[in-house]
Amino acid sequence: MSEATEIPREHELDTSWMDNMAEWGVTAKPGKRGLTLADVQIGSYADLPAISDNMTGRPRGSTPRAEAYRVGAYQVHTLSEIWLDNAEYLYEEALQRQWSSATDIPWHTLKPLPDDVEEAECLLCTFFNEVEFVAGDVPARWIARTTPDYLEARNVLSAQVMDEARHMDVFRKRALANGGGLMRMSGATSGFVGSIDLARDFTEMSTRLHISGEGAVLTMFRMGELFGQNDAEKTMYRLCAQDEARHVAFGVMHLRCLGDTAPERREEIECYLDEAEEQLIAGQQNPAGRQSESSEALAVLLGGGSQHYDEGHKKLLVIRRRQLKEYMKRVISAGFTDRFENGRSPIPAQYAATA
Amino acid sequence: MMVVFPSEEWFQEVRQAYNSDQGLHSGGGGACDTTAGFKVGEYWYFIEFEGLECGQVRQCTEQDLEATDFILEMPLETWQAMLMDVQANGKASSNLTLNSIDLEFEDGIARSPIDDQYRQDLFYRYNQNFQDFFDASSLVETTFESQA
Repeated sequence: MSEATEIPREHELDTSWMDNMAEWGVTAKPGKRGLTLADVQIGSYADLPAISDNMTGRPRGSTPRAEAYRVGAYQVHTLSEIWLDNAEYLYEEALQRQWSSATDIPWHTLKPLPDDVEEAECLLCTFFNEVEFVAGDVPARWIARTTPDYLEARNVLSAQVMDEARHMDVFRKRALANGGGLMRMSGATSGFVGSIDLARDFTEMSTRLHISGEGAVLTMFRMGELFGQNDAEKTMYRLCAQDEARHVAFGVMHLRCLGDTAPERREEIECYLDEAEEQLIAGQQNPAGRQSESSEALAVLLGGGSQHYDEGHKKLLVIRRRQLKEYMKRVISAGFTDRFENGRSPIPAQYAATA
Repeated sequence: MMVVFPSEEWFQEVRQAYNSDQGLHSGGGGACDTTAGFKVGEYWYFIEFEGLECGQVRQCTEQDLEATDFILEMPLETWQAMLMDVQANGKASSNLTLNSIDLEFEDGIARSPIDDQYRQDLFYRYNQNFQDFFDASSLVETTFESQA
């Protein structure tokens, strides 16, 4: 005989939960790109609170539950703190442009390289392993600190964490695939790169990470097609550059949005940029910066060997010039033009000095 | 049938080849949305990518490109060198990819018509799609204006 509680036959199934629906009758339609996050920003589900009081992890637009626990005292709960106008598009783009470090890199094109060239490439791979670790670790912390009401921005950061994981693994794979290995760590994570994780405000973090840090690294990844010694390396750098450009786009669009919607914070942002620019022209944290192990490795690779170091160094200076120019134009695109015209920023002088 | 580069017909043929090859729509070359322009010799071309397809490509005027995200502009002989290389190898050799060529010019080959770096960065974000587009020209029998 069963020990299960016997339910009286007259028991009625309680379906009162069916009455707790939020906005109903919603019919999002897929477009040319499938059913995207932009397509489901519809009706009340698209309503973004300027200030979110959601501390329970309630999905935006769903019906609140009175007894829900306060599972998150979300630090980022003001829209201007994290928002950008195209978060939903960046997220879909990230999903639809993923690639595999295992199968999309023509690893078979790797071939033995002279020792100095292999060591230089492995030093860069070690460096990028370190900085991409930070670039994944830091946004990951901020995802959990952000109200679920701003899910689109959170999702972009989640996709970035995946991108950075792939970057870490692809550089690790390259270092271990051609007779070399990892080199001594650069220590970049104890300088400016590491300081990204000390940011106590999301925009402070984004300015350091997306605009300054990843902007500089984007230029480096693009240059990989110049200093890569084979199709495997060139492809690796090109695909990483695409991802990095998306991360930079997040930073530019967020800064633009913040400048427009919270003008009272502009001077604070200028201070973040002051700090970032000091580091951008410093040495160890920027692989294309002033003399450092990584800049020497770049010069070896760009020259095609240590015997052509001077030639490689000249190319490096051209890269550096481009890096500075693109940085300035991104900050201008984000709406912070004055600093390059009123003498506040040291970058224009640095740029002129590289001519 | 031989098609002359540069011409609208040539770009249409390449568009068809690109859209027909599903292998070009993955591995980092997935969906993208952008409009761009090409300056080839004295001619201007408009191109639009929508999701996984090249939506349209046509000859136009310089003014038609003012609202595009970026314009790729390089000497006619550089265009021809890149495409001859694609014809010979099935895809651009590593020193003749769009990105490599961009790096060889001090100011690059990509510019935003309104000088907005955010828009110019779309060339970097969608680089693989543009490379795949021109690599697809390996399937189009091409002759060059100077030879025609």
